[in-house]
Amino acid sequence: MKKLLSIVIVALFSLQAAVVVAADASKPKVYGKKGYVWDEMTPERTAVLKMGGDPVKGKESFRGCQGCHKADGAGVREGVYPRLTGQHASVLIKQITEIRAGIRLNPKMLPFVEDPAISMEEIGDIAAYLNTLTTVRENGKGAEDMSAKGKKLFNDNKCFTCHGKNGEGDAAKSYPMVSAQHFDYLVREMKWIKQGVRGNSNPDMVKAIAKFSQADLEAVADYLSRLPDYRTVTAAAPAAK
Amino acid sequence: MKDKNKHIGMHLGTLGVLLGMLLTSAAVQAEPVPLEERLLLCGGCHNPDGNSVIPENPKLSAMNAKYLQRQMEDFKAGKRTNPIMDSIIPMVDESEFKALAKYFSEQKRLVGAPAADPSAPAVADASAPAAAGAMSEQAKADLVAKGQQIYLEGVLATAAPACGGCHGEDGSGNDKFPRLNGQNQTYVVSQLANFKSGARTNDPKGVMRAVAKRLTEEEMAAVAEYIFTLKEAE
Ligand code: HEC
Ligand code: HEC
Repeated sequence: MKKLLSIVIVALFSLQAAVVVAADASKPKVYGKKGYVWDEMTPERTAVLKMGGDPVKGKESFRGCQGCHKADGAGVREGVYPRLTGQHASVLIKQITEIRAGIRLNPKMLPFVEDPAISMEEIGDIAAYLNTLTTVRENGKGAEDMSAKGKKLFNDNKCFTCHGKNGEGDAAKSYPMVSAQHFDYLVREMKWIKQGVRGNSNPDMVKAIAKFSQADLEAVADYLSRLPDYRTVTAAAPAAK
Repeated sequence: MKDKNKHIGMHLGTLGVLLGMLLTSAAVQAEPVPLEERLLLCGGCHNPDGNSVIPENPKLSAMNAKYLQRQMEDFKAGKRTNPIMDSIIPMVDESEFKALAKYFSEQKRLVGAPAADPSAPAVADASAPAAAGAMSEQAKADLVAKGQQIYLEGVLATAAPACGGCHGEDGSGNDKFPRLNGQNQTYVVSQLANFKSGARTNDPKGVMRAVAKRLTEEEMAAVAEYIFTLKEAE
């Protein structure tokens, strides 16, 4: 009798645990929540990466994005919308799929990237398209040149470990290119990553910038915003025109 | 021009017939009728060529056929509601939607208000001062300029996207985003307000609701005024 009772109790217990796990699985884990793992592959992201992308189709699909990111993909100098041109496709795919999954919290953008506004296949196409673009328009920079201080902070805190010496990031590891980005966008995102409100913060980055004051963030952002597009640096040929 | 005015007279006649029908038959049965006959009904409100002259009614001319068909289906299914179309759509059989959509999609979009009817100057004169009094030429030009700014650039402060990004800089749309150029202002304002309030929810994934939520009433009025003047690029 006692044995039976304990079996029932154990059964109930595991049932409850299963329910809790199920509820947990439907709620995305974001930075600061137990079980959050940076860069954890979601099924959708895996699928998009596998599909590859067609830049020609991506140009057409990008139409739904250009109301904000502009027809040339360069965003706005005020930094309300980031520059997307030349960003690694792997990074764009990571960010879009994580916004769709609720891991990166971006309610302003969400309705425009949810299915069917953008289908799963279109994510890869758009990412491939944006990666091919170069920016002609000048990006937004800090009000005054703080790049000397910014460069020192960038190097002292080993930001280059992930983002590269020229701010070029790393396509294979989904580390974003951060050079030639709009100043205000960089300041805002660093702040949101630090505070965790972005949702998909990289814990190592949070540690690296934990002690940064607002002035420090601005100096680093100014430094990065003044770096040229990494492709004009890493390519032996001089920048086009 | 003469021709168009003759049409308007005809619409009023159709409208009378229509209202009579609505009053006499409470439960309307959808019986498929030939396209030409059906167009008498639609033309009464949307104009036979789809360029509605009634500000509350949308122009259907040159709109994407799939878009038009889906709107009819949505009215039929109650996914989009409007007191007037809700009373019309039960009379139309679903099998007619495709041909109706095709017909209106093939009509030329006319931009701008219809020319005043020279045969009815009394009416035009009576309404003209009231309309002019409502808004001076300068105020109107300012509104159009503000609308153009919103249409092409969006509103940064509220992250409202530029309409032209999706609907096209000239408003001609494509198979994913409906045509807007030359659309009646009153209709455009009503749709934006409906998207914002949630009265219209048949936009896929709430894309237009997300846009309209970021617009003030003044911005809606301005952008609608600009859309009304917008001509398709040659
Ligand atoms: C009594 C007037 C009236 C008649 C008759 C009428 N409509 Fe409409 N129609 C309207 C109004 C008003 C609207 C705007 C509805 C709204 O505000 O949501 C509309 C909207 C529409 C729309 C949506 C357009 C868009 O751009 O989204 C379609 C499609 C349409 N009508 C098709 C038809 C067809 C086809 C017929 C004929 C079978 C017809 N209508 C007859 C008044 C009418
Ligand atoms: C991200 C793309 C996107 C942007 C940006 C956008 N729209 Fe739309 N809009 C749509 C889609 C999609 C629909 C069709 C909804 C449906 O299928 O029911 C639509 C529908 C509309 C309609 C209804 C058309 C009709 O005939 O009933 C109006 C009016 C409209 N948009 C106005 C605007 C204005 C004004 C702006 C700028 C302030 C704007 N849109 C920006 C995607 C967009």
